[in-house]
Formats: sequence, structure tokens, C-alpha cells
Amino acid sequence: MLELHDIDLGAGPFDHAFPGGAITVVLGRNRSGKTHLCRLVAGLVSPGQGTVRLDGTDISSWSPGRRSVAMVYQSFVNYPNLSVYDNLAAPMRARRRGGGIRARIAGRGDARMDIRVRELADRLGLTPYLARLPSELSGGQQQRLAIGRALAKQARVLVLDEPLVNLDYKLREALEQQLRELLLSTGVTVIYTSSDPRDAFSLGDEVLLLDRRQPVQHGTPLAVYQHPDSLAAADLMSDPGINRFVEDDIHCAVRPEHLSLAADPERPQRRFEVAALDVETNGSETYLHADYLGHPWIARLVGLARVRSGQAVTLYAPADAVLRFPGSADG
Amino acid sequence: MSGRRYDNRAWLGVLPVLLIVAFSAVIPLMTVVNYSVQDIFDMSTRVFVGFDWYRDTLRDPRFIDALLRQIGFSLLVLSVELPLGILVARSLPRASPRTGLLLVLIAIPLLVPWNVVGTIWQLFARPDIGALGAAVNALGIPFNYTAEPLHAWIVLLMMDVWHWTSLVALLAYSGLASIQNLYYQAAELDGAGRWQTFRLVELPRLKAVLMIAVLLRLMDSFMIYTEPFVLTGGGPGDSTTFLSQHLTTMAVGQFDLGPAAAFSVLYFLVILLLCWLFYTAVMRDRDGADVDAN
Amino acid sequence: MAEITLEGLRFRYPDNPMDTLEALDLRIASGEAHALLGGSGAGKTTLLNLLSGLQTPTSGCIRFDGRDVTALAPRQRKVAQVFQFPVLYESLSVAAMLAVPLRNHGWSRRDAARRAAEIAARLDLAPLLNARSGDLSLYQKQLVAIGRALVRPDISLVLLDEPLTAVAPAIKWQLRRVLKTAQAELGATMIYVTHDQTEALTFAERISVLHAGRVLQTADPETLYEAPSHEQVAHFIGSPGMNLVPGEITAGRLWLAGHPLGGAPGLTDGACTIGFRPEWARVSAAPAVSPAAAGTSIGGVPVTVDAVRVLGTRLQQPEGLVGIRVGTTHVYTRQPIDVAPGCPGMLHVRPERLLVFRDGARVA
Repeated sequence: MLELHDIDLGAGPFDHAFPGGAITVVLGRNRSGKTHLCRLVAGLVSPGQGTVRLDGTDISSWSPGRRSVAMVYQSFVNYPNLSVYDNLAAPMRARRRGGGIRARIAGRGDARMDIRVRELADRLGLTPYLARLPSELSGGQQQRLAIGRALAKQARVLVLDEPLVNLDYKLREALEQQLRELLLSTGVTVIYTSSDPRDAFSLGDEVLLLDRRQPVQHGTPLAVYQHPDSLAAADLMSDPGINRFVEDDIHCAVRPEHLSLAADPERPQRRFEVAALDVETNGSETYLHADYLGHPWIARLVGLARVRSGQAVTLYAPADAVLRFPGSADG
Repeated sequence: MSGRRYDNRAWLGVLPVLLIVAFSAVIPLMTVVNYSVQDIFDMSTRVFVGFDWYRDTLRDPRFIDALLRQIGFSLLVLSVELPLGILVARSLPRASPRTGLLLVLIAIPLLVPWNVVGTIWQLFARPDIGALGAAVNALGIPFNYTAEPLHAWIVLLMMDVWHWTSLVALLAYSGLASIQNLYYQAAELDGAGRWQTFRLVELPRLKAVLMIAVLLRLMDSFMIYTEPFVLTGGGPGDSTTFLSQHLTTMAVGQFDLGPAAAFSVLYFLVILLLCWLFYTAVMRDRDGADVDAN
Repeated sequence: MAEITLEGLRFRYPDNPMDTLEALDLRIASGEAHALLGGSGAGKTTLLNLLSGLQTPTSGCIRFDGRDVTALAPRQRKVAQVFQFPVLYESLSVAAMLAVPLRNHGWSRRDAARRAAEIAARLDLAPLLNARSGDLSLYQKQLVAIGRALVRPDISLVLLDEPLTAVAPAIKWQLRRVLKTAQAELGATMIYVTHDQTEALTFAERISVLHAGRVLQTADPETLYEAPSHEQVAHFIGSPGMNLVPGEITAGRLWLAGHPLGGAPGLTDGACTIGFRPEWARVSAAPAVSPAAAGTSIGGVPVTVDAVRVLGTRLQQPEGLVGIRVGTTHVYTRQPIDVAPGCPGMLHVRPERLLVFRDGARVA
């Protein structure tokens, strides 16, 4: 378990415990403090105040090298002049020899390391490319290699800072599907930052929402999704953003996926008269951008929906799907 | 940011650097300032004279002549080397296997020691046996740089251009190499001609490096000493005596320590002023570039 | 604006044994919003360069309104291009920038300024006419770049090379909307190159799916989604793409992993690939039926649930993707999450939605 106590990302101190052996997705927008949190756990920045405990041991003052923390970045960071094999072997050699350049020059070493490298490469689908240099791999393969290097370090905590943002759309989809299985099989404590709530659902055992450098809610993804404490939490856990409106001086919201063009005759419905602005579609889903009483709204509709720009449209939502936040400030 | 711990221990780390700077720069400089306000007869007899030496120096026609000559020389040098350097940089092929070799060839004059440069051109331009001087004379144009001030200036200019244009070219090349191909494609599709492409695509991107080139060349040419000393010795007459040579004559030749010190301080202040002017210009430009990069 | 015709357009780099683009035929109507969709290495950039004239085809020709322009230089083709990130003359004001292409083509200062102001107004750039590019946001800069591409009324073709890449995801649709409105109002022929299916399906009337140097299919969004002509198209369109599993045709029936899925009239026996979209299939938590008994009922294939991905809730019930394994292939269905990983289930596919591919191409 990784515990943060009295930690400050720039908007006041807080405590949080990341459960051991599980994946926590840290969800937040740009500049919400996600990267700062990663660097803090990895020891790349000093916490200033507060403590970081790993399985009960205070590691706040430890150097990044001494901590049992591995990190994967947005950009694909590998040793450019080492082969895929040597990239995967480098953390093991460094650990055995206490690091340094000698470790890189050292020979292939013992059989156990060899087995471990090959097993890792197999799990990552990199076996055919062991002799290649990172620059000869595709983007997805390079990032898999970076993740493999982090796993090879056999650290107790693995921090991934938006590792998939720089990948092609289809590649990202393919990699996401393998990632959870891969990460869970290692048994490490994983911190995975993202701005996409889908990652929380597809990867996370837990989700921690960060808004303006402060945690706003945490729990299992479904619980946080179904019972947001605040507008900010509802918005973070919504893709695309939540649709807001004010009713009787109470802040209300509807999720984009709860809106549809047809009413469900079997349940009480809310009607919203909106002006359509534009539609975008990926085939499976259509996003309808609309204006509702001056609020920018988006409806996520199933399939291809043809709506003309400027058209007046009636959207329906189940009455119990409307989220209400009495006393919540607009956030 | 709140909640951060700060302390002043970091200043201890800076202490060695402060000491080194004190010994290497501040103390010698203060010695010169000290000399410049005294009249020194011998090591034990000195009189405080205030700003007399400064007043004298500023009224000295030889100082003023040298200063004007200096400014003229620097401006001339810049007005030739800058466009020429850009021209050379533009004509270099980009991302070709020969580029590296060409850059090395271009850089060769920069590697020649300064007094050797002077000697090379002294020989090259000699009216009797020099390849250049003799050739010009053979064409029927009387040429003698040791006797004609204009000729001396021409040779001096050519020498400096030969020596330093490469620096401008290398800097400009690095600026040009950072321009992505897309910008040229876009200009081409806009129907932009060569001059327009230069003015709209290349020049804005070159501004920062050209600032640095101007700064370096201005400072360097302002302090030029070795080459004219070897080539012309400041002559004929005083026609190629620049500030640094004038100073050397005063301090070493005539041992006028007080006036020489005052002169040095003035010289130093002029260069400092120029540095500051360009520094602010470059930094202002840099701010603009930062905003743009976002 | 011009009608664009590509006839047998082929491109090969001198030292490459393979064609980067294989004999390509395409006709794009005047005023059409067309998209080229493909992954990296599909040949998108090469095709773009051939259209703008930066590269010359190995064979074949390009016609604008019937006129052969293959040999013309970029500036003679009347082609404008918008790049991945804003490419602007940073020393000029927006007004001056928009006027450059016009001034270069013989417009008087006054006429150029008037036309520039007109285009700026159309793109909601009017308040920024006197701004310099340093003062603009990325969104505004790209808008200016679009304006520069649209400012010449005599332009034949506007090329857009992933023009939304640099813009923040949340406001991409706004830029696309401005672009689309301007396209429709000006009747501009536009070719929009992208790897993002959403952008292609949203922007274009017709889309050409490019893969390994070939156009696999050119069609409107609905057709690409419902009736892809090729496995690669089926995979590329949709999120996630279409499920493609190895199947078998025997005696006019379609079999998946030894279970009949539906009829396949008119097809010869043999191996094939079965395609269906996640939205067209459903896994139900089946009571443990013996495989022999399940095999007798058409449309049910016993499977084991691998993973579930919640994407939200509908009617308070979590819904999303259910991942199952059929043989060695991963298959997704999109449905309410009423099954759990590790559970046995029955896969049903709407029989009218089953697509059959052979050698990559659709046969039914």
C-alpha cells in the first residue's frame, strides 16, 4: 500500500492511500496536478511537507533510485542505442550491479535474467523484435517496450503518466485492452493517470479524481460514476463533459449518454428543447453538440444519427438520470 | 505556491564562484579604476586628480578620431558580413551528406590564429610580391596599402570579412535549418517568390540568431587589435589606429598609466553599453518567440 | 472549384521495390467534402503531395475539371493546403497574412484587403484582423491558416492534412464546424486527410479508406459502417471496430467454432471470415446448456466471458463492452453488463447483420 499523508499539490494538504496490488486511475484534466503527483511518488520532486509511505516505511526523503518505484512517461523513453533485449535487461543489470555505465557494457549475464527478459518480451508481444533498436519499432511497440522496462525493474509501485496519449487512435484501443491484464499479472501497485474516464472503467480498480490540484472523490469507477459528490466529480467522470443546467437555483446535470432522441414510453421522462449545433460520429456512436438555454450540451447517441446544424431538437432523458447538486457551486 | 520549505543554505554553494569572480574580475577592475583617478609618478608618489584624466581623454582629438574610426569600421564590417553570411547559409544544401563537410570547410578561417590571419593578409596584399597586391598592380591600378589609407582600409575590411563571415554563416545556417519544410511548402502554394519567401518565412525565424551574430561581431570588431597591428601597425599615419591600439600605445609605449586607465574604463563602459543594448533587444525578441511557441 | 479525377495514379520511390501508391482511380465532384482515411504508412501523405504537386507520380494522371495538371508545379495548380499545425507568416498581421496569396496573384491592394476581410468575417476572425500570430491561440491560428487556404476564389482544391491535430480535443468540433460551414457556403472541393475515423465520418460526404497504398472503398459514412467492402475497412470504422472471426461455410450455412450462426445462401463451401459489429451482437448469461444441445439451435454460440468494460449506465444498468474469446480471436459485444468475467454465456448475432469476407473482401 502506498500512503500519502498531508501532501500538498498546490491547493491545500490531503491524505490518500493507494491500495496495494491494484490499479488506481488518477483522473484529471491538464494542470490538475496529475503529473506533479506522479513525480512526487517517484521522488523526482520533494513533497516539501507531508510524507509518502510505502508498505509502512516512510520514503519521503529517499532518492528516486532508492525507491522501489518505476515510471512510464507520455513520450516513449527508451535507451536509443540499446536493442529491445538490452533495454529490457538494463534495469535488471542495473539492480544487480548497483547501476552505472558498467551495467550496460556487461555481458548477457546469467540464464535467469535471460529467461525473464524473454518472458517479458513474450507478454508484451515484442519477441520478434528483440534484436531491433527502439527507433525501428512502431509507436505502440516503443511504448510497450517502455512499459516492459518499467516492469523489468520489479518495483513495488509502477507509475504511468498518461502513457497512451501520444498513440494513434486504433493502436491506443488495442493497447488498452492488453494493459489491465498485463499490469495485474505483476501484482504491483499501479498509479495510472489519464484525462479519459474510459480508462478508469477499463483499467481501474479504483479511481481518484483530481480537480485543480486537489482530490475531489475516490472509489470504484462505477460507484464514483453513479454517485458523484459534486459537479466537478460528475464532469471528470464523464466523456464528453457533463451537461449542466440550473433549476430552482439548484445545479443539475445530465450525462451525455443518458440523452436520446426518442422518449422511453415505459419510464417518466424529462424533455429538453435544444438547438443542434453539429454532429460528429465514429460510426458506433454519434455526438450531438447542442445549445440548451445558453449551456453547451453534448448528447452521446448510439449509431449514426443525422441531425442538421441549426435544427431544433427534443432530447429525452429518464427523470431519475438527472443529477442534482444542492448547494454545489459551479465548478 | 504555499507550504514549501525554503532556506538560504544554497548561497554557501555559490560562495566559491563569487570568490573566483572577485579575484579574476572585480579586483583588477577596481585597480584600473583606482589608477584612473590618480597621477602616478613612481610607485611611492601619486596624486589624486579626480576626473581630470577622463576630461582630458574625452577632449583628446586622437581618442575621438580613434573612436569614430572604430565605429565606422564596425559598421562597415557588419554591413558586409551579415548579408554575405546569410547568402552563404542560404546557398548551403540542407540535409545532404555533403553538408557536414561544407560546414567544416566554411569554419576553417575561424580556426586560424589571429596574428596568423594578419600575417597571411600582410603577405597576400603586398604590392610587390603578394598574390593580390601584385595582381591588382599588374592590371594597371596603382595599389599600395602601406602608403594609401583607403587601400589599407580595403585590405583590412577584406581580411575581417574573410575571417568572420563564416561565423555569421554558421549561425544563420542553424537558424535556417530549424525552419520546417512545411513553411516553404505553404509559401510555394501561396505563390510566394524567392524574396517574399525570404522576408516572410526565413527572416522572422532568423531574427534571434542574427541578433546574436550582430552582438558577437560588434563586440569583437570593437576590440580588434591583433590583425591590424600585424597588417598595418595602425598606419599609414593613424589611419587604421583603432581604440585598442591607441590604448596600447598609451599604456605600454608611453607608460601614461593614469590616462590609459581612464581610457580603459571609458572603453569598457562603451562596450558594456553596447552589450546591454543588444541583450535587452535579444531578450525582448525571445519573449515574443516564447509566446509564439505555445 | 474543380472536379478532381485521378486516373491510374501510381507512385514508387526509386529505390523501393514496392509501390507506395498502387494504380489509384478516384473521382471527386466539384464542391465535395471528401476524406482520405488511413493509418500511418497507408500512403496518405504521398497522395497529398501528388495532389499539391510537391511530388510527381510514377505514372497515371491528375485532372482538375478535365484538364491534365500532372506536370504542373504547385503554384500553377491553384491548390491550397492546411497543415497539421498552423503554418503562418509570424511577422504579419492576420489581415496582411490573408492578403498574401491574393497579392501574389495580381490582386490590387484594395481588392485583396476587401476579400481578406470577407473571409475573416466568414470564419469569425473579423475582430482579430489586426492581431499578430503571437497573440493568437492555437485554435485561432489554425483558423487563420484555414482562411489563408480559402481566400483565393479561383482555387481548385483545398487539401487538409489532419488540420485538427494541434487543437485541444474539447474544441476540435468547433473548428470542424466552422470549416464545414465555410466549405458548404463557398462550395469548395476539399480533401481531408486523417487517421481518425470520427473526423472522417463527421466531416466528409464521402470517404476513401486507404490501406497499404490502395483505396479499399469509397463510400458515404453509412455504407462504410454497415456494408464495408473489405476487412480493413470494417476494422477501421467504428469504435471498437468490427469483430472479424474465422468461420466456415458448409452446405449453405455459416458456422462459427462448430456452431451454426445463420444461412449463407449462394456461397461455396470453405473457410471464410465472419464480420459483425459489437452493437449487432449480444452475450447472455446462458444456463449451463450442454454444447451438444446448444449446437442444434441456430444463432447461439456458447462462449466464455473474458472481460467487461463499463462505459456508462442506461436505465441505472451498467452498459458497455463485453469481451469474449472465440477460438483465439477476441470479440466484443456492446450491451448491458449483465454477465461477469469467467461466466459461460451464449453469443447471439442478428443474422441479417452477418457479413462474410473471403481473402479480405466481402462476399456477402
